[in-house]
This record gives sequence, C-alpha cells and structure tokens, in this order.
Amino acid sequence: MDRNFLYLCYGLIAAWMVIFIYVISLALRERSLRQELDRVRKMVDDGERSSRGVNDPRP
Amino acid sequence: MRSKLIVTLAVVACLVLAWNIRTIFLHVPDEANQGAIFRILYFHVPSAMTSFCGFFVAMAFSLMYLYKQDLKYDSIAASITEVSLAFAIVTLVTGSIWGRIIWGVWWAWDARLTSYFICILIYSGYLMLRRAVDEPNQRARFSTVLSVLGCADITIVWKSIEWFRTQHPGPVLSVRNGGGMAPGMEAPVYINLIPLLMLCLALILVRTRQEDLRHEVDALRRTAHSF
Amino acid sequence: MNFLRNAMAIAYKDLRSEVRSKDTINASLSFSLVILLLFSFAFDTDSEQVQEISGGLLWIVFAFASSLILGRSFARELTNDCMDALIASPINPAELFFGKAVANFALLLAVELFCLPVFGIFYNVRWAQQFPVLLVVVMLGTWGMTVIGTLFSAMTVNLRLREIMLPTLVYPFIIPVLLGAVQLSKGLIIGEPVGSDNQIWFRVLVAFDLIFTLLAMAFADIVLVG
Repeated sequence: MDRNFLYLCYGLIAAWMVIFIYVISLALRERSLRQELDRVRKMVDDGERSSRGVNDPRP
Repeated sequence: MRSKLIVTLAVVACLVLAWNIRTIFLHVPDEANQGAIFRILYFHVPSAMTSFCGFFVAMAFSLMYLYKQDLKYDSIAASITEVSLAFAIVTLVTGSIWGRIIWGVWWAWDARLTSYFICILIYSGYLMLRRAVDEPNQRARFSTVLSVLGCADITIVWKSIEWFRTQHPGPVLSVRNGGGMAPGMEAPVYINLIPLLMLCLALILVRTRQEDLRHEVDALRRTAHSF
Repeated sequence: MNFLRNAMAIAYKDLRSEVRSKDTINASLSFSLVILLLFSFAFDTDSEQVQEISGGLLWIVFAFASSLILGRSFARELTNDCMDALIASPINPAELFFGKAVANFALLLAVELFCLPVFGIFYNVRWAQQFPVLLVVVMLGTWGMTVIGTLFSAMTVNLRLREIMLPTLVYPFIIPVLLGAVQLSKGLIIGEPVGSDNQIWFRVLVAFDLIFTLLAMAFADIVLVG
C-alpha cells in the first residue's frame, strides 16, 4: 500500500511537471517574441526615419 | 482583457484543483483491488478527455479557416493542438505510472496505448510541419489536412477498446455503458475535468496571443524590408 | 469515366517514365534487399521464431521500400516546372492525386512481389501456402500506405526538409494499416486460414483504405492548388 501511495505521488508530480515545463516554455517563447517585436519595431522606425530624410525634424 | 481572462481562468482552475485534490485524498476511499494508485485515474482520464476534445475542436477551427480563409482560425487551431498535445503527454505519463503498479510494466503494447502514442506522434508531426512551412496560408491549409486526417485516426483510438482485445481496462465510466465504478468514486473524474478544461483554455489563450505576436512580427518585418 | 481516363493518363505517364529510367524501382529493390540482409544479423534465422515474426518483418521491409517510391512521386515533377504545368493542366487535382497514387501502388506492389520470394528464400518461409488471400492483404495494405504517402508527398514536395518530413508524417498514419496487414500476414504465411479473430483486421484495412482514399481525394485540391 505504501508503494502504491508513493507511485501515486510520482504520477501526480510527473503530470504537473509536464504542464509546468510547458508553461515555462510558453513563457520563454513569449519573452523572445516580445524581444523580436521590439527589435523589428525599431527597424521599422529607423527605416521610416531614413526614408523621410536626415533633415526632417519629426521624431 | 485577454490577460485578465487568462489570469482569472488560471486562478479559478488552481483553486478548484486544490479543492478536488483535497476531496480525492481525504474523502474518496481506496479502490478494492488497486489501492491508492487508483486515484491517478482522476487526472489520467480528465487529461485524456481534454486532449481528445482539444484535437477535435482544433479540427473544427481548421475547417473554419478553410471556409472563412481567415488566419486567426488557423492560429487558434494550432494553439489548441499544441496544448492538447501537452495534455496527451500527461495522459501517457500518468497511465504509464499506473501501469507500473497494476500491470508490473511501464509500458504495454496494447491497442489503446499504442493508438494513443500514434496520436501523439501524428500531432508532433503536425507541429513539425508548421515549423517547416514558411508561407502562412500554405501552412494553414496543410495543418487543416493533417488535423482532419489525425482526427480520423483518433476515431480508431476511441473505438479500439471495443474492437480489439486489450490489456487496458474496459469501459468503467457510466457514460460508456461500463458502470464498473461506485457512483461516489466516479463523480470526481468529471469534477476534475472542469479545472483541467479551464487550465487548457488559459494555456490556449496564451498560445493564441503568441501566434498574434508572431503575425505582427512577420508583418512588421515585411514593412521593414520594404524600406 | 473522364475522371478515370485522366487519372490513368497520369498513372501511365509516371509508370512509363519509371520503366524508362528505372531509378526509383532499382533503388527501392536494392534498399529492400539491404534491409532483408540486416534482419539476418538481428536474430537467428533458423529458429521457429522467424515463422512467428515473418509477417512483421515483411511489412517493415515494405514500409521502408515505400518511403523511396513515395518520396520520388511528386519530387520528379519539380524539374523543368513540371509541377506547375500539371497543376495548370485541365485535369483536376483529385485526378492528378489518384493517378499518382495508382502509379505508386503499381510500383510498390512490384517491389513487394519481388521481395516475397526473396524473403522466403533467405528466411526459409513458405509464404505461398495461402497466396490468393495473402495477395489481397498485400494489396489492401499497400493501397493504404500509398494513399497516405502520396498525399504527404504532395504536401512536403516543396519543403526544405522534405526527406525528413515525409517519413515523420507518413509512418504514424500508416500504423493502423501495418498493424492489420501484419496480423493477417503472420497467420497466412505460416499456413493458417484467417480465423474469426482476425476478420476484424480485414475490416480495419478496408475501412482505412476507403476512408483515407476519400479524404485524400477531397484534400488533393487544397494541398496541390490551395
């Protein structure tokens, strides 16, 4: 019976570990996506500024 | 708005799960033949139901994409498939640990387990295919085809318990004409399904948000390259 | 009738091209022989066990042989923009798909019928005891593999990881076919008639072939054209 209970705990821990690892991977993916988004936004802003011209006072 | 919904779903799911775990451990008696390990059923079966529902709902959204030609349906379908795959892996892991005690082996190549493993391979292939296709509309079309074919295969999984001789227990839930469980012991299976579905929905919303971010990055990248 | 005529035109084109070049069929035959050779190192070929596992061995050989044939199916159309020409032609995608599937089926069946006697010789297996029924099983199993493989070949033809993606996608889908074919072949090769226990596998094979043929033809348009 003790062994049964031990394996029950292993099972539940394993199940929640899978979900936990997936949540962590989602969080890491979101962080890298947001970093990429910021990078690409900056690229677009730089591109717009350079296409308007050096002497354009607008930000 | 979406963030608030995600947080609400996750918090409520965790609270209900905590309550259910308390009930399962304190109020539900040990099963006569299996002992304490039988309680893993309360996570194994709802995870299996969640993943099965998820695959079929993803197929429906994929077909919506074909009908409406709107990529948001494809994003939702992909998100649901990925989260359902995570729950399918939970099902296999919990089933394997249960099998170690009851059957004495970590794995048995019976029809139900094998077919379930095939489902996981199919949907892993689905995710790999999505990564291999760059053009969004082509990716969405191929994903739809794979989703529909995958669901046809899931039907074999669902029916396998009746079609083939199998080591996996026969139907025990009353909805599947089994009726092998005492009523007080069957209810927590369905009660535990609710928080798992809520958790699944929260993860799907997070994943869909990431798909939207990805589309935004791709659109901005195209704009940046046009300068 | 138009459907069959157009599909057979595509099948005839592919088969005639293959008969002239013999690239794919030679490679597939060689590969099958290599696998049969490798199996001889995996277990004792004189033991009784070989009779028991002969069905499984045979279908593993067939499954690996199919990967070469199915991979070439649409890949051969990439040169000289033949794929674009086929899609732009008056035949509809379902006819194109069906014709390709029939050609692949014929090629794969030819390889399998070559492998059977070789397998019998190498492993001392008397496979012809119930040959008509075995042939039906081989044809049903081969059609199931062909239909799935042809569809995924069309899907993966333009992908950068085509050689990796095709087997990764095809093999999990054809497992129900392989399962049914192995169970039936196992008994037929050792001379047992198909018992009532095994009738279910015939139904699985037929159902799989019907369902996935219809689905594949319905999706051919989406995969090939968009």
